[in-house]
Amino acid sequence: MNLRRAVALLALSLVLVVSGCARSVGVSLTTLTVTGSTTVLPIAEVAATEFEAANPGKRVLVSGIGSSAGIEAVTKGTCDIGTSSRDLKPEEKSLGLVDIKIALDAIAVIVNPSNPVSGLTKAQVSDIFQGKITNWKGVGGPDLPIGLVNRDEASGTREAFSKFVLGTADFDPTAAVLPGTGQVRSVVAQASGAIGYISLGFVDPSVKALAVDGIPANETTVGNGTYPLSRYLHFLTKGQPSGLAKAYIDFVLSPKIQESVVRDAGFLPVAEGGK
Amino acid sequence: MSDSRDPRTGEPIPEMCADPKSAENSPRPPARQALMTISKATYFKEAALKNLFLVCACVAVAGVALIFLFVGLEGWPIFAKVGVFNFLGGLKWYPTKQFFGILTLIVNSMLAMIGALAIGGPLAVGTAVFLSEVASPRMREIVRPAVELLAGIPSVVYGFFGLVMLRPIVAHVFGGLGFGLFTVWLILAVMIVPTIATLTEDALRSVPDGIREASYAMGATKWQTIWRVLLPAAKIGIIDAIILGMGRAIGETMAVVMVAGNARVIPDGIFKPFLTLTTVIVLDMPYAAGDHRTALFGVAIVLFIISMLFVAAIRVISRFGKEMS
Repeated sequence: MNLRRAVALLALSLVLVVSGCARSVGVSLTTLTVTGSTTVLPIAEVAATEFEAANPGKRVLVSGIGSSAGIEAVTKGTCDIGTSSRDLKPEEKSLGLVDIKIALDAIAVIVNPSNPVSGLTKAQVSDIFQGKITNWKGVGGPDLPIGLVNRDEASGTREAFSKFVLGTADFDPTAAVLPGTGQVRSVVAQASGAIGYISLGFVDPSVKALAVDGIPANETTVGNGTYPLSRYLHFLTKGQPSGLAKAYIDFVLSPKIQESVVRDAGFLPVAEGGK
Repeated sequence: MSDSRDPRTGEPIPEMCADPKSAENSPRPPARQALMTISKATYFKEAALKNLFLVCACVAVAGVALIFLFVGLEGWPIFAKVGVFNFLGGLKWYPTKQFFGILTLIVNSMLAMIGALAIGGPLAVGTAVFLSEVASPRMREIVRPAVELLAGIPSVVYGFFGLVMLRPIVAHVFGGLGFGLFTVWLILAVMIVPTIATLTEDALRSVPDGIREASYAMGATKWQTIWRVLLPAAKIGIIDAIILGMGRAIGETMAVVMVAGNARVIPDGIFKPFLTLTTVIVLDMPYAAGDHRTALFGVAIVLFIISMLFVAAIRVISRFGKEMS
């Protein structure tokens, strides 16, 4: 215990020295580095641009290196804010990080509006995307072959969907692989037997979002945590945020950013700050 | 000084290399002077132009050499790592799970090319015969620019057209999603028409008129003349044109990636999605790292070799043709 206190003291004094140095150079106080999840990148980046416009002289540097790397970076202090698209693991909870939820990412399973099927269980979705069920009559629908539409491996949505639904199983390799949310949506909108998945924020009337485990996909069910295919996006700081970091976080949580930038990126706003 | 002016317009030619001063001051070698009817300035100009064109040619050769070297250096470790046989003969392409077999992709590329050729080849040769033998000069004025315009459309536009217009039609008529070999064949067939048609037309036009006249004099109809006389006479040129068309079909990327559906398997039907040698590079490049990235360069080497084989085939066939005639 004593040792830990000593280390903390040492770290604190180091921070003071470093910030003292930085003050004389005039960098640290006006530059904020934000790094981590590539899923969070579109929000953090656009918000950074608008934040800089609203606060002349301040710089926010945003980069995407993956959630785990972001958590490591903020723990080590190589960035001011770490971003993550997953919850902290149990062993990461003791690192003294403050977790701020900035948006909700929910994935909708979409089908053609002409498809009479309106809901599936998570297990059925899993079987369909593994290629075990290949006809809609297997899940109580019409006798129509299922047209599987998958995303490319670079997609964060694919990664999240795989984690939510398939677990360790693999996607059916014969599925069509499309390199964009827009393409998935337009293909599913046109083909009667198609099924795909996109971020809930990109669902429009041209496609139908299925209920999963009986829970419809909408903002209410995602907001209250009952919809199974959803996750929070996080900002993480070492200790309570202050100064520029706090200003930036408050900016991202402001209704202006939540309703425009967060929605435009295909995510849903967090209710009442999400803390 | 008059030498540095264009003889037709009298305008001074902006010429960097011909230095009039050196032409006036330096004494000409007597023997050369006797032989040369051109002035020293013209001589330098000619030499400069010759070298300029040499440099142009060298840039092209250096470009090919550098690309081959770069792709080769980046890609060869994958052959060493997984073995040539496993790389070229493996059916599983799951680079993130350390499966680097590209046979599936090679087969798919060949399937796409063969189908496109089966549809586009006859279409293109028919177009060429029409342009060269059948069409009135006025009709030719309309059709030829249209065919040439096909060659000028960017391939991504073909792809977009295929994705938005053709694919839904295929999906509607044949069921499924509309991605797959059939849709790719239709798009590629149209894309290779200008390549094959223009070269075939050239080949048909280079058949001397005397041969046509002799055929008609023997009492042959137009159809008999085309089928029995002209096409066989232009055979070598047409084969060259078709091989160039094959090269275009197998190298096409953007149009294919949008309508192929990109599943990493050999499709079990012509309406099932598939991935080719070219499209795997486009799709995997954004996130490929380490061995995966090296393997993509390995795919590039294979593509490079395939197109070299096509060029070699054209040269061999042309030489063979010259020996025959």
